[in-house]
Amino acid sequence: MYLDLHAHSISSDDSRATVEQYVKWTSVLRRKGREIDGFVLTEHRGFDFGKDYKKLGQDNDVLILKGSELDTNIGHFLVYGVNEQLAEMVNFSQVGLDALNLIKSAEICGAIAIPAHPGRFGVGLYEYYGQEYDLSSIKIVEHLNGSNRPGEQERAEELIAKYKYACTGGSDAHLVSAIGTCMTEFDTAISNESELVSQLRTGNFRPVRIEQTGTKNV
Amino acid sequence: MASEEEIRFDRSLLGVEHPVGEFEITKERILGFAKATGESEPVFVDESEASKTKYRGIIAPPTFCNIFTSEIKRPEIGLEFGDLGFHAGQAIEYKSPVRPGDKLSAKTKLKEVYAKTGRSGKMVFEVWETNFTNQNDVLTATVKESFVHRNKTNL
Repeated sequence: MYLDLHAHSISSDDSRATVEQYVKWTSVLRRKGREIDGFVLTEHRGFDFGKDYKKLGQDNDVLILKGSELDTNIGHFLVYGVNEQLAEMVNFSQVGLDALNLIKSAEICGAIAIPAHPGRFGVGLYEYYGQEYDLSSIKIVEHLNGSNRPGEQERAEELIAKYKYACTGGSDAHLVSAIGTCMTEFDTAISNESELVSQLRTGNFRPVRIEQTGTKNV
Repeated sequence: MASEEEIRFDRSLLGVEHPVGEFEITKERILGFAKATGESEPVFVDESEASKTKYRGIIAPPTFCNIFTSEIKRPEIGLEFGDLGFHAGQAIEYKSPVRPGDKLSAKTKLKEVYAKTGRSGKMVFEVWETNFTNQNDVLTATVKESFVHRNKTNL
Protein backbone atom coordinates (compact mmCIF):
# COMPACT_ATOMS: atom_id res chain seq x y z
CA MET A 1 0.00 0.00 0.00
CA TYR A 2 1.03 3.59 -0.60
CA LEU A 3 1.07 6.08 2.28
CA ASP A 4 2.25 9.66 2.26
CA LEU A 5 4.12 9.78 5.57
CA HIS A 6 4.58 13.54 5.81
CA ALA A 7 1.79 16.11 5.47
CA HIS A 8 0.69 19.27 7.26
CA SER A 9 -2.86 20.54 7.71
CA ILE A 10 -4.15 23.80 9.18
CA SER A 11 -3.10 22.49 12.58
CA SER A 12 0.41 23.49 11.52
CA ASP A 13 1.12 27.22 11.54
CA ASP A 14 2.40 27.24 7.96
CA SER A 15 -0.30 25.24 6.18
CA ARG A 16 -3.69 26.34 4.93
CA ALA A 17 -4.79 22.92 3.70
CA THR A 18 -7.65 21.20 5.51
CA VAL A 19 -7.77 17.45 5.96
CA GLU A 20 -11.02 17.39 4.00
CA GLN A 21 -9.26 19.08 1.06
CA TYR A 22 -6.47 16.50 1.18
CA VAL A 23 -9.09 13.76 1.05
CA LYS A 24 -10.71 15.37 -2.00
CA TRP A 25 -7.35 15.70 -3.72
CA THR A 26 -6.66 12.05 -3.00
CA SER A 27 -9.76 11.18 -5.00
CA VAL A 28 -8.55 13.46 -7.80
CA LEU A 29 -5.25 11.57 -7.88
CA ARG A 30 -7.10 8.27 -8.00
CA ARG A 31 -9.28 9.47 -10.87
CA LYS A 32 -6.05 10.30 -12.68
CA GLY A 33 -5.03 6.69 -12.23
CA ARG A 34 -2.53 7.19 -9.43
CA GLU A 35 -2.45 5.01 -6.35
CA ILE A 36 -2.61 6.48 -2.88
CA ASP A 37 -4.09 4.70 0.12
CA GLY A 38 -3.68 7.38 2.74
CA PHE A 39 -1.51 9.92 4.50
CA VAL A 40 -0.10 10.78 7.90
CA LEU A 41 -0.68 14.26 9.34
CA THR A 42 2.65 15.19 10.87
CA GLU A 43 1.88 18.56 12.39
CA HIS A 44 4.70 20.86 13.41
CA ARG A 45 5.65 20.78 17.09
CA GLY A 46 2.35 19.32 18.21
CA PHE A 47 -0.11 16.47 18.06
CA ASP A 48 -3.87 16.65 17.60
CA PHE A 49 -5.03 14.36 20.39
CA GLY A 50 -8.55 15.76 20.11
CA LYS A 51 -9.02 15.15 16.41
CA ASP A 52 -10.44 11.94 15.00
CA TYR A 53 -10.46 11.45 11.23
CA LYS A 54 -11.64 7.82 11.24
CA LYS A 55 -15.11 8.54 9.85
CA LEU A 56 -13.80 10.95 7.22
CA GLY A 57 -11.28 8.33 6.20
CA GLN A 58 -13.77 5.46 6.13
CA ASP A 59 -16.34 7.46 4.17
CA ASN A 60 -13.74 8.19 1.50
CA ASP A 61 -11.66 5.01 1.66
CA VAL A 62 -8.57 6.96 2.69
CA LEU A 63 -6.41 6.00 5.65
CA ILE A 64 -5.77 9.13 7.73
CA LEU A 65 -3.20 8.72 10.47
CA LYS A 66 -1.67 11.24 12.86
CA GLY A 67 1.94 11.92 13.81
CA SER A 68 4.21 14.89 14.49
CA GLU A 69 7.19 16.74 13.08
CA LEU A 70 9.41 17.99 15.88
CA ASP A 71 12.30 20.49 15.89
CA THR A 72 15.39 18.84 17.40
CA ASN A 73 19.01 19.77 17.92
CA ILE A 74 19.94 17.78 14.79
CA GLY A 75 17.11 18.83 12.50
CA HIS A 76 13.46 17.99 12.12
CA PHE A 77 12.17 14.54 13.11
CA LEU A 78 8.98 12.77 12.10
CA VAL A 79 7.34 10.86 14.92
CA TYR A 80 4.85 8.07 14.30
CA GLY A 81 2.78 6.29 16.95
CA VAL A 82 2.53 9.35 19.19
CA ASN A 83 0.67 8.72 22.44
CA GLU A 84 0.07 10.56 25.69
CA GLN A 85 2.98 8.83 27.40
CA LEU A 86 5.37 10.21 24.80
CA ALA A 87 3.80 13.67 24.97
CA GLU A 88 4.44 13.66 28.71
CA MET A 89 8.06 12.63 28.29
CA VAL A 90 8.90 15.03 25.48
CA ASN A 91 8.05 18.72 25.18
CA PHE A 92 6.75 18.71 21.60
CA SER A 93 6.63 22.48 21.21
CA GLN A 94 10.23 23.03 22.25
CA VAL A 95 12.73 23.82 19.52
CA GLY A 96 16.14 22.20 19.85
CA LEU A 97 14.84 19.00 21.46
CA ASP A 98 17.48 16.40 22.19
CA ALA A 99 16.96 14.12 19.18
CA LEU A 100 18.73 11.11 20.64
CA ASN A 101 16.54 11.34 23.73
CA LEU A 102 13.51 11.66 21.45
CA ILE A 103 14.47 8.47 19.61
CA LYS A 104 14.86 6.62 22.92
CA SER A 105 11.66 8.01 24.41
CA ALA A 106 9.74 7.10 21.27
CA GLU A 107 11.01 3.55 21.45
CA ILE A 108 9.99 3.24 25.11
CA CYS A 109 6.50 4.48 24.26
CA GLY A 110 5.94 2.24 21.25
CA ALA A 111 6.50 5.06 18.78
CA ILE A 112 9.29 5.73 16.30
CA ALA A 113 11.19 8.92 15.42
CA ILE A 114 13.04 9.35 12.13
CA PRO A 115 14.86 12.30 10.58
CA ALA A 116 12.71 14.31 8.17
CA HIS A 117 14.27 15.68 4.96
CA PRO A 118 17.84 14.80 6.06
CA GLY A 119 19.38 16.77 3.22
CA ARG A 120 17.60 20.01 4.06
CA PHE A 121 19.73 23.07 4.59
CA GLY A 122 19.60 24.27 8.19
CA VAL A 123 17.25 21.65 9.60
CA GLY A 124 18.43 18.39 8.02
CA LEU A 125 20.49 15.63 9.62
CA TYR A 126 23.22 16.13 7.00
CA GLU A 127 24.38 19.27 8.77
CA TYR A 128 25.18 17.37 11.96
CA TYR A 129 27.38 14.54 10.75
CA GLY A 130 30.95 14.91 11.89
CA GLN A 131 29.85 16.68 15.05
CA GLU A 132 29.83 15.18 18.54
CA TYR A 133 26.57 13.27 18.15
CA ASP A 134 26.39 9.47 18.22
CA LEU A 135 23.93 8.91 15.39
CA SER A 136 24.09 5.12 15.44
CA SER A 137 20.52 4.83 16.74
CA ILE A 138 19.20 6.25 13.47
CA LYS A 139 18.18 3.41 11.17
CA ILE A 140 15.57 5.04 8.94
CA VAL A 141 15.48 8.43 7.21
CA GLU A 142 13.01 10.19 4.96
CA HIS A 143 14.59 9.75 1.55
CA LEU A 144 12.07 11.33 -0.81
CA ASN A 145 10.62 14.65 0.34
CA GLY A 146 8.27 16.54 -1.94
CA SER A 147 9.37 19.95 -0.65
CA ASN A 148 13.09 19.59 -1.19
CA ARG A 149 14.94 22.42 -2.88
CA PRO A 150 17.78 21.91 -5.37
CA GLY A 151 20.72 20.19 -3.70
CA GLU A 152 18.77 18.82 -0.74
CA GLN A 153 17.75 15.52 -2.34
CA GLU A 154 21.36 14.92 -3.38
CA ARG A 155 22.57 15.50 0.18
CA ALA A 156 19.99 13.02 1.50
CA GLU A 157 21.11 10.45 -1.05
CA GLU A 158 24.73 10.94 -0.07
CA LEU A 159 23.90 10.05 3.54
CA ILE A 160 21.75 7.10 2.54
CA ALA A 161 24.49 5.66 0.33
CA LYS A 162 27.04 6.05 3.10
CA TYR A 163 25.02 4.79 6.06
CA LYS A 164 22.66 2.34 4.33
CA TYR A 165 19.53 3.71 5.95
CA ALA A 166 16.09 2.28 5.35
CA CYS A 167 14.14 4.93 3.45
CA THR A 168 10.67 6.44 3.55
CA GLY A 169 8.99 9.03 1.38
CA GLY A 170 6.58 11.84 2.13
CA SER A 171 5.23 14.86 0.32
CA ASP A 172 5.79 17.37 3.16
CA ALA A 173 2.58 18.86 1.78
CA HIS A 174 1.53 22.28 3.03
CA LEU A 175 -0.71 22.84 0.00
CA VAL A 176 -3.60 20.65 -1.09
CA SER A 177 -2.20 19.70 -4.49
CA ALA A 178 1.08 18.53 -2.96
CA ILE A 179 -0.42 15.58 -1.08
CA GLY A 180 0.94 12.24 -2.27
CA THR A 181 3.73 13.60 -4.45
CA CYS A 182 6.14 11.37 -2.52
CA MET A 183 5.01 8.32 -0.56
CA THR A 184 6.17 5.12 1.09
CA GLU A 185 5.22 1.74 -0.33
CA PHE A 186 4.56 -0.96 2.26
CA ASP A 187 4.31 -4.68 1.53
CA THR A 188 1.77 -5.24 4.31
CA ALA A 189 -1.53 -3.47 4.84
CA ILE A 190 -1.63 -0.88 7.61
CA SER A 191 -4.78 0.36 9.32
CA ASN A 192 -3.60 2.38 12.30
CA GLU A 193 -0.63 4.15 13.86
CA SER A 194 0.68 1.17 15.81
CA GLU A 195 0.68 -0.99 12.68
CA LEU A 196 2.56 1.79 10.91
CA VAL A 197 5.20 1.74 13.65
CA SER A 198 5.44 -2.05 13.42
CA GLN A 199 5.90 -1.92 9.66
CA LEU A 200 8.53 0.78 9.91
CA ARG A 201 10.45 -1.47 12.30
CA THR A 202 10.44 -4.33 9.77
CA GLY A 203 12.28 -2.35 7.13
CA ASN A 204 9.90 -3.69 4.44
CA PHE A 205 9.10 -0.43 2.71
CA ARG A 206 10.51 1.88 0.10
CA PRO A 207 10.05 5.47 -1.03
CA VAL A 208 8.13 6.17 -4.23
CA ARG A 209 7.19 9.19 -6.27
CA ILE A 210 3.57 9.31 -7.31
CA GLU A 211 4.59 8.96 -10.96
CA GLN A 212 5.82 5.47 -10.08
CA THR A 213 2.34 4.35 -8.98
CA GLY A 214 -0.55 3.28 -11.24
CA THR A 215 -0.77 4.86 -14.65
CA LYS A 216 -4.23 3.91 -15.90
CA ASN A 217 -6.13 6.84 -17.46
CA VAL A 218 -3.04 9.05 -17.35
CA MET B 1 3.95 21.15 26.30
CA ALA B 2 4.81 24.85 26.23
CA SER B 3 8.21 25.89 24.98
CA GLU B 4 7.66 29.58 25.56
CA GLU B 5 9.64 29.39 28.82
CA GLU B 6 12.72 29.73 26.64
CA ILE B 7 11.52 32.85 24.85
CA ARG B 8 11.88 36.03 26.84
CA PHE B 9 9.13 38.61 26.39
CA ASP B 10 6.53 40.41 28.47
CA ARG B 11 4.23 37.51 29.34
CA SER B 12 1.76 39.76 31.14
CA LEU B 13 0.49 40.78 27.68
CA LEU B 14 -0.66 37.28 26.74
CA GLY B 15 -4.42 37.17 26.26
CA VAL B 16 -5.02 40.70 27.56
CA GLU B 17 -7.28 42.80 25.32
CA HIS B 18 -6.24 46.34 24.48
CA PRO B 19 -8.62 48.84 22.86
CA VAL B 20 -6.78 50.04 19.77
CA GLY B 21 -9.14 52.33 17.92
CA GLU B 22 -12.54 53.29 16.61
CA PHE B 23 -13.34 53.54 12.94
CA GLU B 24 -16.24 55.33 11.25
CA ILE B 25 -17.39 53.46 8.19
CA THR B 26 -18.43 55.51 5.20
CA LYS B 27 -19.83 54.39 1.87
CA GLU B 28 -16.86 56.06 0.18
CA ARG B 29 -14.43 53.97 2.19
CA ILE B 30 -16.24 50.76 1.28
CA LEU B 31 -16.37 51.71 -2.40
CA GLY B 32 -12.70 52.69 -2.32
CA PHE B 33 -11.76 49.33 -0.84
CA ALA B 34 -13.93 47.50 -3.36
CA LYS B 35 -12.31 49.40 -6.23
CA ALA B 36 -8.80 48.80 -4.91
CA THR B 37 -9.39 45.06 -4.62
CA GLY B 38 -11.18 44.71 -7.95
CA GLU B 39 -14.48 43.80 -6.32
CA SER B 40 -17.45 43.82 -8.71
CA GLU B 41 -20.24 42.09 -6.78
CA PRO B 42 -23.22 44.51 -6.80
CA VAL B 43 -23.82 44.09 -3.06
CA PHE B 44 -20.46 45.75 -2.45
CA VAL B 45 -20.45 48.42 -5.16
CA ASP B 46 -23.94 49.18 -6.47
CA GLU B 47 -26.36 50.89 -4.08
CA SER B 48 -29.39 50.28 -6.26
CA GLU B 49 -28.71 46.55 -6.77
CA ALA B 50 -27.57 46.10 -3.16
CA SER B 51 -30.88 47.52 -1.91
CA LYS B 52 -32.66 44.54 -3.52
CA THR B 53 -30.61 42.00 -1.57
CA LYS B 54 -31.25 40.69 1.93
CA TYR B 55 -28.76 43.30 3.16
CA ARG B 56 -30.95 46.15 1.85
CA GLY B 57 -27.95 48.23 0.93
CA ILE B 58 -24.22 48.18 0.35
CA ILE B 59 -22.07 46.14 2.72
CA ALA B 60 -18.29 45.94 2.92
CA PRO B 61 -16.42 43.04 1.30
CA PRO B 62 -15.47 40.32 3.82
CA THR B 63 -11.81 41.31 4.17
CA PHE B 64 -12.59 45.02 4.64
CA CYS B 65 -11.71 45.21 8.36
CA ASN B 66 -8.15 44.26 7.56
CA ILE B 67 -7.42 47.79 6.28
CA PHE B 68 -7.59 49.08 9.84
CA THR B 69 -4.95 46.75 11.23
CA SER B 70 -2.20 48.91 9.72
CA GLU B 71 -3.48 51.81 11.84
CA ILE B 72 -3.30 49.83 15.07
CA LYS B 73 -0.57 50.52 17.59
CA ARG B 74 0.19 47.37 19.56
CA PRO B 75 2.00 47.22 22.90
CA GLU B 76 5.71 46.37 22.67
CA ILE B 77 6.23 42.81 23.90
CA GLY B 78 9.90 43.24 24.82
CA LEU B 79 11.01 40.17 22.93
CA GLU B 80 14.65 39.32 23.58
CA PHE B 81 15.38 37.60 20.31
CA GLY B 82 16.39 38.58 16.81
CA ASP B 83 17.52 41.76 15.16
CA LEU B 84 15.11 41.62 12.24
CA GLY B 85 11.34 41.46 12.17
CA PHE B 86 8.67 41.49 9.50
CA HIS B 87 5.02 40.81 8.87
CA ALA B 88 4.53 37.11 8.26
CA GLY B 89 0.90 36.91 7.22
CA GLN B 90 -2.67 37.34 8.31
CA ALA B 91 -5.96 35.47 8.39
CA ILE B 92 -9.29 37.25 8.40
CA GLU B 93 -12.40 35.59 9.74
CA TYR B 94 -15.58 37.26 8.58
CA LYS B 95 -18.31 37.30 11.23
CA SER B 96 -21.09 39.74 10.21
CA PRO B 97 -21.70 42.54 7.68
CA VAL B 98 -20.16 45.99 7.97
CA ARG B 99 -22.35 48.80 6.60
CA PRO B 100 -21.93 52.52 5.89
CA GLY B 101 -22.61 54.42 9.10
CA ASP B 102 -21.25 51.69 11.35
CA LYS B 103 -18.78 52.62 14.03
CA LEU B 104 -16.31 49.81 14.61
CA SER B 105 -14.25 49.34 17.74
CA ALA B 106 -11.10 47.25 17.68
CA LYS B 107 -9.51 45.36 20.53
CA THR B 108 -6.30 43.42 20.12
CA LYS B 109 -4.56 40.80 22.22
CA LEU B 110 -1.31 38.91 22.08
CA LYS B 111 -2.46 35.41 21.19
CA GLU B 112 0.82 33.49 21.32
CA VAL B 113 4.57 33.67 20.94
CA TYR B 114 6.36 30.57 19.69
CA ALA B 115 9.61 29.47 18.16
CA LYS B 116 10.35 27.26 15.18
CA THR B 117 13.35 26.32 13.10
CA GLY B 118 13.69 26.44 9.35
CA ARG B 119 16.30 26.53 6.60
CA SER B 120 17.61 29.86 7.86
CA GLY B 121 17.69 28.97 11.55
CA LYS B 122 15.53 29.84 14.53
CA MET B 123 12.55 32.16 14.22
CA VAL B 124 10.15 33.50 16.81
CA PHE B 125 6.56 34.25 15.83
CA GLU B 126 4.44 36.85 17.58
CA VAL B 127 0.72 36.37 16.90
CA TRP B 128 -1.90 39.07 17.55
CA GLU B 129 -5.64 38.67 17.31
CA THR B 130 -7.81 41.74 16.71
CA ASN B 131 -11.58 41.68 17.09
CA PHE B 132 -13.76 44.31 15.41
CA THR B 133 -17.22 44.96 16.86
CA ASN B 134 -19.85 47.40 15.67
CA GLN B 135 -21.90 50.00 17.62
CA ASN B 136 -24.31 47.21 18.67
CA ASP B 137 -21.45 45.20 20.11
CA VAL B 138 -21.75 42.63 17.31
CA LEU B 139 -18.49 41.01 16.24
CA THR B 140 -17.84 41.76 12.57
CA ALA B 141 -14.39 40.29 11.97
CA THR B 142 -11.40 38.68 13.64
CA VAL B 143 -7.98 39.36 12.15
CA LYS B 144 -5.03 37.20 13.17
CA GLU B 145 -1.62 38.60 12.25
CA SER B 146 1.81 37.03 12.60
CA PHE B 147 5.13 38.83 12.89
CA VAL B 148 8.35 36.89 12.62
CA HIS B 149 11.64 37.75 14.33
CA ARG B 150 14.98 36.35 13.30
CA ASN B 151 18.67 37.05 13.23
CA LYS B 152 20.26 38.76 10.25
CA THR B 153 23.34 36.60 10.65
CA ASN B 154 21.33 33.55 9.59
CA LEU B 155 20.23 35.04 6.29
